[in-house]
This record gives sequence, C-alpha cells and structure tokens, in this order.
Amino acid sequence: MMSDLIAAEWLKLRTTRLLAGIIPAAIAISVAAVAGAILVHEGGGTALESSESVRRVLSVSGAGAILVLVTGIIISAGEHRDLTAGDTFLTTPRRHRVLAAKLIVGAALGLAVGVVTSLASTGVAAVIYRSRGARFPFTDAEVWLTLAGSLVYTALFAIIGVSLGSLIRNQVFAVTGALAWFAVVEHTLVNFAPGVGRWLPAAAGQAIVRTPLEGLLPPAAGASLLAMYTAVAAWSGIRAVATRDT
Amino acid sequence: MIEVRALTKTYGSRRAVRDLSFTAPSGKVTGFLGPNGAGKTTTFRCLLGLAEPTSGAALIDGAAYRDLAAPRRHVGAVLESTGFHPGRTGSNHLRVIVRAAGLDAARIDPLLEVVGLRTASEQRVGGYSLGMRQRLAIAAALLGDPKVLVLDEPANGLDPEGVRWIRRLMRTWADEGRTVVVSSHLLAEVAQAVDRVVIIREGALVKEADIADLTAEHATVRVDRTAAMLGALRAAGADHEVLADGTIAVPGRSPSEIGGIAARAGATVIELGQRAPAEALEAIYLAATAEIE
Repeated sequence: MMSDLIAAEWLKLRTTRLLAGIIPAAIAISVAAVAGAILVHEGGGTALESSESVRRVLSVSGAGAILVLVTGIIISAGEHRDLTAGDTFLTTPRRHRVLAAKLIVGAALGLAVGVVTSLASTGVAAVIYRSRGARFPFTDAEVWLTLAGSLVYTALFAIIGVSLGSLIRNQVFAVTGALAWFAVVEHTLVNFAPGVGRWLPAAAGQAIVRTPLEGLLPPAAGASLLAMYTAVAAWSGIRAVATRDT
Repeated sequence: MIEVRALTKTYGSRRAVRDLSFTAPSGKVTGFLGPNGAGKTTTFRCLLGLAEPTSGAALIDGAAYRDLAAPRRHVGAVLESTGFHPGRTGSNHLRVIVRAAGLDAARIDPLLEVVGLRTASEQRVGGYSLGMRQRLAIAAALLGDPKVLVLDEPANGLDPEGVRWIRRLMRTWADEGRTVVVSSHLLAEVAQAVDRVVIIREGALVKEADIADLTAEHATVRVDRTAAMLGALRAAGADHEVLADGTIAVPGRSPSEIGGIAARAGATVIELGQRAPAEALEAIYLAATAEIE
C-alpha cells in the first residue's frame, strides 16, 4: 500500500538525526539572509516599507531551500551510502513505488520547511524593522506573494533533490555536484550570461521568490519552468530506480 | 522451493553467473557453496529481484521475486551487502520494515529476544558489533515469518557460539518445512547443517546433490591386500584416497561397485562402508574448487 510506504519513508526520516540538524540550519540560513538583507539596506525608516524593499528583503527567505535540496538527495542516495537500499527493495520490489513515496515525503518536508522558514524570516524581519523605526508592511501583497513563492521554491527543490539522489547514487558526488551547480555554475551564468542563465533551474527559483534581479523571468513563468525541470527530474529518477540493478 | 533455470548474469564483459540451474526444495537446508567470487551473491541478487538476469530465471515457488504478492511474508533474506543507517536504533530499523511491508509490529520484541538483541535494541546501530548487525539482519529477515530463507554468508562476523546458533536455526526452519538456502565460502561453517549442496565455480554449476547421495556414492573399503586393491582401482579408473588408518576412500563409487572391484582383485574385504557426510562433502568441495587455487 502506498500509504504504508509513505509512512515508512517518514519513519526513516524521523528515526535518524538528519531532520534535527537540517531544519534548524535551514531556518538559521533563511533568517540570517533576511536579517542581512535588511541590515545592508541603504536608508532605514520608512524607506524599508516600500514594496521594492520588502521584495528585496523577503526574496532571500528561500535561502534554506538549498539545505532541503541536500536533504532530498540524502533521502534517496543515502540508502545507497548506508547500504539500506537492498533491504528497502526487498520489502518493495516494485521500486518506482519507493521513489514515489520518497518524492511525496520530500515534497511535504519541503513545504513544511518552507512554511517554517517563511514564518521565522517574516517574524525576524518584523522585529528588525521595528528596531530600525519602520513598520513591517504585512498588508502589502508583495509580502505574501514572495512568501508563497518561497514555499513553492522550497517544495520543488526538495523534489529535485530526491530525484537527483536517485539519478546519482553516490551521495557525496550528488551533494557536491548539486551545490557546485546551483551555487557556482548557475550563479556565474545568471550574472554573466543572463540570456542563458535565466532559463536554468536556480534562476527560475529566484524568479519564483521575486528576486529583484535584472534578467530573470516573471514569477509565474519561473514557476512553470521550475515545475517542468522538477517533473523531468522526477520522471528520470523514477526510471533510473526502476531499471537499474541495486 | 527455489528454482534457478539457466541463469546468466553478465556485468560488462564479465560473466558473473553462467547458465546456472539448480533447485532448493522446501524442508531442506541447501548449501550454496563456492569460493569467494564464484557468483553466489550475484545469484542471490537475481533471485531476490535486486539485479535483473541477463538471461534465464530465478524463481521462488514458481514466481519471480518482483511478482510475489507479499515479499516479506514469503521470503526472508540476509544479504552480505546489506547495511544499516548508523544513526537509527535496532528496533527502529525493524519498525521501518514492518511499516513498509504492512507487517505486525508485535513480532518485533519477541524477535529481538530470539536474536539476543533485546537489551541493545534502543541503541544506535552505529555502535553495534559485526555480530550484532548480523543478528539484526536475521531478525529483519524473520519479521514476515517467511516460508523461504535466503542467507548469504550468515556466519560472517558471528562468534563460534553464533555460528552454532545459526546452524540450529536453519535446521529448525527446514524441519518446519521452510526452504532454506545458505551460501558460504567456508565449508566447515555449514557442512554439518546442510541436507543438500549446490557447488559453483566461476559462475557455473559444479555439483548439485543431496548429502545422502554424496555418501552413497562415496565408498570406503578396508582390504587385506591393499596394494592389489589400489592397482585394481587404478585399472578401473577410480579416483581414490588412502586414509590414515589404511581405509581406501573412493569418491563417485558405491560400496557395491567397490566390493566387485575387490573381488576381482582377489582382495578380501575387511570392512566396506560409506564416507561420513562431512568428509564426503569436503572431498567433493575440495575437488570442485582445487583447480583454480
């Protein structure tokens, strides 16, 4: 039963120390990024209250997504590192079901972490705003659009992580490769060749969280593009797990 | 029952298993023997759906593992290459399997007791010894109360007491009518426990036989005129070995055949019998594996 497999994947996640490390770290990264963005903001006071400023500040609340991506990779590639994959596939020889359960659990985790980091980031932002003599504009639609974008971005990155971990079963390669790609390669391309860079997955993610950066796609287009990347990754991951020997 | 039919598995240009066929019936312990690298683990991986055969089939009660309705209730496997998350406790490892396979969680505690891990069950597996991990793997295999047990080198990491324990368990399972297949590269670990052997070398079958048949075809004889008898055996083309007490052991020949040869050689038979099972098995195994060493 699929529900048993999902429950088992959640139990696997819950019975190691991974989440106890990842969730606080994801919150810390997002909160630190938001706090940093406010503190480097030129001009305090009411200048912070503009939609433009709020967008600049909150768009970095998705920074924790990179750790969710890593968690996703560990959820699938970790089974090969710890040699638990054999046991898992003995229990569920129709292996695509295992990956489907992992994708569901990963997506749910991504959403949950997205909610928590968004709330924490917004709370911290409101406190720092007050200390700088500004009111956090909770009623500005920009706030909620950015936070919603951050949720979508984090959940999709979790799914991409689970899929990558299925495609690249060596956990160390998968994690270092993904970090190098998203943090270095794409970053460079977005800055130096935005015409190409804007079509890449992390740049699409930046578009979803409404990063005020020249050359990015509009948020909705970014969301569609990242959703497409995610679907291709998930499909490839399922194919890989179903056809390869363990 | 396990049936392996013309199984071949190649990795690139390497043929790990070549046209291998054998059966392991229920109610018996079948030893799956061969030196390291002979293809035992690959055969098990194909049998358990972890690797796709290049050709041929490996079936459990007539079905491929992937087609079993409830694999954990049908088959319990202890694989050499299986590991544990070091940060998960022993009992949580079992709980994950119970959850995924829809098994009864009430079996966990009694099984932990059976394998002697009750007190260590809330410790993280990272702190377990090799023997404790092996015991946990055995508990995991037994969670579904399976009819078929596939054990890949189960004695690895166990102390002598543990090896005896696993031998007794295998005997009990077979006596309950279950199918038990146990692989080993060390004959002594399993010799006393198996009813039947399948010996492979370089991926191919060397010998498949019940132990009873092996001994029936491995005569021992003591005669008054040993030299004449040895000459007659050579003339008959029979491999033979003179044991320490002067008894001549003749693998591949029944006692009645040897009685005939003795009579034609004019030797008086003092004692005619069958080789002890463990010795007959050892002779076969050594002959099967000697050439490549």
